[in-house]
Amino acid sequence: MTMDRDRRAATSYLPLRPVEFHVLLSLAAGERHGYGIIQDAEARGERIDVGTLYRALARMTEQGLIERAASGAEEGDDRRQYYRLTRLGLNVARAEASRLAVLTRAARLGGLLPEGAA
Amino acid sequence: MSAGAGGVGGPGGERRRGGSGRSAEDGGPRMKATRWWFRLLLQLYPVDFREEMGEAVVETYEARARDAVARGGLPALWGVWLRALLDAIRNGPAERVNPAVWWRRGGNWGRDAELVLRRLVRAPVFVLAMVGTLTVGLGAFAVVYTVVHKVLIAPLPYEDPDDLYWVWRDYRAFFDLGRGWTAGTDVVELAQAGGVIEEVAALVSARRTLGGIPGEPPAEIKLLETTPNLFGLLGVSPVLGRGFLPGEGGPGRAPVVVLTHGLWNRLGADERIVGREIRLDGEPFTVIGVLGRDFEFVRHAGIGPPEAPPDAYVSFDYDLAGTSPGQGSYAALVRARAGTSRAVVESTVEAVGRIIDERDFQGLGLRLYAVALGPDLVAHARPALVVVGLAGGILLLVLLANLASLLLVRALEREREFAVARALGANGVALVRATLLEGGLLGLLGGSGAAVAAVWATRALVGLAPATLPRRETIAVDWPIALVVVATGALLGLLASAAPAAWAARTRLSSLLHAAAVRGGGRGRLRRAMVVAQVALSLVLLTAGGLVVRSFERLLRSDPGFEAAGALTLRVPMDRLTDAEADVMQERLQRELATIAGVTAVGAASALPLTGDSDQADLSVPGAPGNTGNPETDHLLVDVIATRPGWFEALGIRLLEGSSFAPQAPQGVLEALIDEQLARRFFPGTSALGAEIQIAGTAARVVGVVRHARLYDVHADGRPQVYYRNHGDYVSQSLWYAIRTSRDPASLVPDVRAAIDRVDRGLAMADVLPMERRVAESLSQQRASAALLTGFSLGALLLAAMGLFGVVSGSVTRRRHELALRLALGADHPRVLGEVLGEGARLIALGVLLGAPGVYLAGRVTHGLLVGVSPWDAVTLSAVAAGLAAVALLACYVPARRVLAIEPASALRSE
Repeated sequence: MTMDRDRRAATSYLPLRPVEFHVLLSLAAGERHGYGIIQDAEARGERIDVGTLYRALARMTEQGLIERAASGAEEGDDRRQYYRLTRLGLNVARAEASRLAVLTRAARLGGLLPEGAA
Repeated sequence: MSAGAGGVGGPGGERRRGGSGRSAEDGGPRMKATRWWFRLLLQLYPVDFREEMGEAVVETYEARARDAVARGGLPALWGVWLRALLDAIRNGPAERVNPAVWWRRGGNWGRDAELVLRRLVRAPVFVLAMVGTLTVGLGAFAVVYTVVHKVLIAPLPYEDPDDLYWVWRDYRAFFDLGRGWTAGTDVVELAQAGGVIEEVAALVSARRTLGGIPGEPPAEIKLLETTPNLFGLLGVSPVLGRGFLPGEGGPGRAPVVVLTHGLWNRLGADERIVGREIRLDGEPFTVIGVLGRDFEFVRHAGIGPPEAPPDAYVSFDYDLAGTSPGQGSYAALVRARAGTSRAVVESTVEAVGRIIDERDFQGLGLRLYAVALGPDLVAHARPALVVVGLAGGILLLVLLANLASLLLVRALEREREFAVARALGANGVALVRATLLEGGLLGLLGGSGAAVAAVWATRALVGLAPATLPRRETIAVDWPIALVVVATGALLGLLASAAPAAWAARTRLSSLLHAAAVRGGGRGRLRRAMVVAQVALSLVLLTAGGLVVRSFERLLRSDPGFEAAGALTLRVPMDRLTDAEADVMQERLQRELATIAGVTAVGAASALPLTGDSDQADLSVPGAPGNTGNPETDHLLVDVIATRPGWFEALGIRLLEGSSFAPQAPQGVLEALIDEQLARRFFPGTSALGAEIQIAGTAARVVGVVRHARLYDVHADGRPQVYYRNHGDYVSQSLWYAIRTSRDPASLVPDVRAAIDRVDRGLAMADVLPMERRVAESLSQQRASAALLTGFSLGALLLAAMGLFGVVSGSVTRRRHELALRLALGADHPRVLGEVLGEGARLIALGVLLGAPGVYLAGRVTHGLLVGVSPWDAVTLSAVAAGLAAVALLACYVPARRVLAIEPASALRSE
């Protein structure tokens, strides 16, 4: 029952914008600050502009998908703000991932993806 | 690669997680420039986004820039710069249009309001100053707006009022009258012209004695006699019954009357009145309709303001086409075809006028011309209203400056509060919201106060206003105006708080604390500028006010040629009597009035001073020493007044030569008195007594010379005057009575009514007023203007003084330490005091200097309102400047005196 409601609540945020999925993906691995998220995305082969990222961070914080972490910077810049996933954010990230998985499967069945490709 | 890059980085894996770990404080000029660039780009984003995310964004960019430099040197750094620019151009405006988060703009209003209220309760002086300023200023503005709007702007309550025109005749080819009534035949001709002229109505004013009302003494009412099409032409219909039918005019028409709402009320407000009979001068008339409460209509006069509104309407009982073309006594009202331009209507009327001129006046050039109804109605009141309206506007400006000053002071006082709040992590947006909320709330309070004040003030003002002010009865603050006033108050509050709010939002903590340390600076200058503006504007208002008040005072002191105090005046209509009957009745009435206790003199005449209701006639004095020999100039158009004995004594009109009319009329000769103007003109240096004059061809003998008693305006002589004895063959039936008494004139009224009843119970008394009231009423427009302008200018002066007080007081507080230091170093108190005063004096001088061109404009604008005072009247101008300077200096001196209380030692220790 609870799970059901959570899933329904989570699916209402779908589909996510690419930048939002990147944020969730990064934060799923642990707390990150803005530049860390950008670097993660670059490692996945995508560039995110700083303005785009921070607008997304603001929006997602307001939506309750992520939240500010108390402070992750022992030695870093004191202006640096760290973020982490909320429970809702985690659910939304999972829901988006399975949505994408369905799409990927469909793409493969449709012959758009070579067999075995990621 | 470079110094900037040297500190960057660490092992690659480390960088992934933590980014470049070094603080941004290091880095060379290149990094500083980079940071400056990112901060600049940040300005593209809305303020709340900057507040919330700005530092993190800059930090992230810096980290990226450091990495880029490490990777690719300067070209890579430029790449980051460029990319950041594109990023900001795309996302900044996008964020403004479509904010990621509606931040906390919609936040906790209830809590904010509570905080604001609590803060305001702790600052009652500030609240009082704000609300008081708004109430007074906006209230004054609302009053002016109401009057100006209702009189000058609001459409007249007729159908398509813009298509209505009055038609006048220019008689100047005959005699000196540029705007006179038309003839009945002109109206017929205009109506037949067709084309753009759809319909024409003719109007004549009349007075009738209304009788036949059980339990009521007969009363005189004012009638408009009209063609039956008047109401249709105006596009109004009675609320009870009906208007005139097309056939209900002309010879043998049924005697029917349409009542105004006012008269209907006076008759008992009976809804079943239609079909009843009333008596006008003894003749029965059937009531066929009652006009609505909102219906207002007045006949415009050739000379002077529009007439007072009538009580009832009847139709002509004769055919206009059968009247004499030379008998010009009809006001012509034209309805033009909808949407016709003014120029076309004017040229059409002129064309008809030319035909009539050829046909009836041998082409002498008596032209007809049309004047639109709206502008014509307000023509008399416009100059005064324009001046008062402008004054109201200036007052509003002074008020705005005051509000802004107050709020700036408030912001200044709250500097530390802001700083601490920000230091404790308060959201800048929340501070802005609270500041705006405070301003808006105070504005709302002030606006509500102003609306209430305006309702009362407007009532008071309408009481002061002349009875002839157009549409006087409709002037009141209505709901839309009240709402506008309240909304304007709120808006002004918001506007005035916008400056401190923006300031609260922008300032950074460091600069705030810095500013708190060194108070004043930029905002001090702003306040000074406001004070200078206030002084300048006040000077303009005071000049206008001073001139108008001085002109009014001249009017009050002007000698009208009669003694108003102690005289009761009234009219007794006897129009339906024959001359002989009237003569007897007048004689009896005068005797009865003289028997009233406390009455010292009684007289009667056909025209009373200040009413302008005399007849005119041609006068010549064959053989007089003053004749020039030119018949053109030896004939004068004079005011002729039928007069009974006692008139000059009762009104206090001084006899200069000879004697006034004796109680008994001599046989076989018509006696006359002339005024000083005629005596000077025809008998310079000699006596006029015994001379024979020709009044419209009738010979009369001069028995005396009297002062010129002003018939029209209190402040200006009119035409020369001739008084002839009202007797025998020369009797006017309806006369004015003047009763001089040692009692309060108003208290005579019941005795007068009783005296009239003893003569004939069917006689009405009309226009009963103490003569002093008449004088006062003839000055009511000037009085109202003077009162308003005085109020406005004193209000502005007060506001300016408050501003100066604030600035000097603030200056003393701010400079306390410095002043104490100088006192300690040997400056004496008077010198320091003088310096502080000098600061205020400089502001005053600057304000007066800046206001000087405004003084010139004030003179130009008020020119039309001034009587006997030049707009450049040196006495007034210097008195105003001196008065302003004195008050302003006093406003500086009071707070400056606090300097004297500074004890250097303790002041310095406390800092």
